[in-house]
Amino acid sequence: MMVNEGVINRLLLWTLAILSLLVIYAPPLYLVAISFNASLQPGLPGLSDLTLHWYATLPKETALMNALWQSLFIAFVTAITATLLSLLAALAYFELKWGRSLWFLAMVLPMFVPGVIEGLALSAIFTHSGVKSSAATVIAGHLLWAMPFAFIVILTSFAAVKPAYLMAADDLGASRWRQFHDITLPLIRPGLTSGFIFAFLLSLNEFTRAFYLSGRQNTLPVVLFGKMNSGASPVIYAISGAILLLSILIVASVVLIAGRARKAQ
Amino acid sequence: MPFRRTLLIAPPLAVVVVLGVVPLALVVIWSFWTWDPATYWIKPELSLAGYAAIMDAGRWTVIVSTLAKSFGAAILCSLLAYPLAYAVHVMSGPRVQMLLLALMTIPFFTSYLIRSFSWRLVLGRTGAINEMLQALHITSAPLDWLLFSNFAVFIGFIASYLPFAVFPLLLSMRRVPPELMAAARDLGAGFWRALFTILVPLTYAGLFAGFLFVFVMVAGSSTEVQMLGGAGASIVSVMINDVMRVANYPLAFAISVVMLATIFGMVLVGNGFFKLSGLFGEDAE
Repeated sequence: MMVNEGVINRLLLWTLAILSLLVIYAPPLYLVAISFNASLQPGLPGLSDLTLHWYATLPKETALMNALWQSLFIAFVTAITATLLSLLAALAYFELKWGRSLWFLAMVLPMFVPGVIEGLALSAIFTHSGVKSSAATVIAGHLLWAMPFAFIVILTSFAAVKPAYLMAADDLGASRWRQFHDITLPLIRPGLTSGFIFAFLLSLNEFTRAFYLSGRQNTLPVVLFGKMNSGASPVIYAISGAILLLSILIVASVVLIAGRARKAQ
Repeated sequence: MPFRRTLLIAPPLAVVVVLGVVPLALVVIWSFWTWDPATYWIKPELSLAGYAAIMDAGRWTVIVSTLAKSFGAAILCSLLAYPLAYAVHVMSGPRVQMLLLALMTIPFFTSYLIRSFSWRLVLGRTGAINEMLQALHITSAPLDWLLFSNFAVFIGFIASYLPFAVFPLLLSMRRVPPELMAAARDLGAGFWRALFTILVPLTYAGLFAGFLFVFVMVAGSSTEVQMLGGAGASIVSVMINDVMRVANYPLAFAISVVMLATIFGMVLVGNGFFKLSGLFGEDAE
């Protein structure tokens, strides 16, 4: 869109946009910077004080490490399940003639259920039907949180599947399964990958539902929450910084790769 | 083929029903049952005690203040999202656009807990802002109201949920033919006039969807208040946590029902006005 905003308006709009981005990014990046500071007191490190010391001590923090492994396991199972279910849901979406909009709502509405209410409801049901809290109960809570996002990403990726491709394959005698396997699947594979990664990160970072649903082994965010409120320490900055950096790098590469692929088309 | 359709629909639908619809329906039913001190659970006798207890001890004021916070945060985020979406969609070349899109996507998938916590390091008594203000001799003592205050909570809301307002706006801006704004400017409209008579009305759907998303996310949020709110600060989700500390199930369920009704009422009414699914993709209607 070519619009002549005028220099002052341009400046004003960019200032507002950059201020908003700073509100989102400045504090987390400040935390990451602090995590490289050798000092026990939080503050920006000087260039000579940069250290990986606090990161190096992380493997010895057994409570944190056990929670991390639990979270990674839960996130992996959640992401696989959410991706497969979202793929089915997206395929169903295109099979439906009427009721598409209803189906879309049914898949996306769970996103709006507040975490505390979802966690409380599931934990009440589990405890009073004799189901012990474990990784499985957390996965049950996380599925409904991760699925809507995976569904939207995968549904959007179907834009690459032009109806003409499938019609041509149909004319040439390909079965429905062959059409799916040879045409649809390769075209939506980037969407499936993004859906999986996003679902993984959503589960890995989820706190409120896990707070109600995790068993003896808490997930990482639940352990972190406890530690954040009982006096912060450089170790917390390091593990938080590591998780933040990793999430940022992963999402950024997914978005950039997807963007490049779209341009190449 | 109805059989294939059933095979595709059944698994995801089963998950939504078993993990979503059934638990929430049970919450609604259980909110009308009676608290049983013998078992710390409830017994199936009809009772409105849970709902009556909402009126006690000023609990309803927390609900009202939650709705007010949600409304305020949704307005603030919508106002901030518009310039941001405009900058991404209109004022950026392809490279900058890609970078900004990545920057707007990342917050969805990074820890809301850690991001809220990081504001403590910035806003605290010995935090970055107070240190800076004192170093520049603007203040002589640390400002106390920066952290553990409504100010901090609102900053936290914006930092957490602003992207929820930006994306619907971007999607609806993409549907506006690019010539319209340029034509309005050619015909002599000033930039703001062109913006408010052309682009803003054509993007009402995105603006409203963004407002709704932020409202609903804030109404169900707990992390920002837990991390950044003052001693007496509350929001519905935190109140439910507190009520559950004494295992008062009927009250917790009654509060949940009021919130769920509000949230889904708003989403469904909003969806009636603007087809939300229409925002995603050409063929999604």
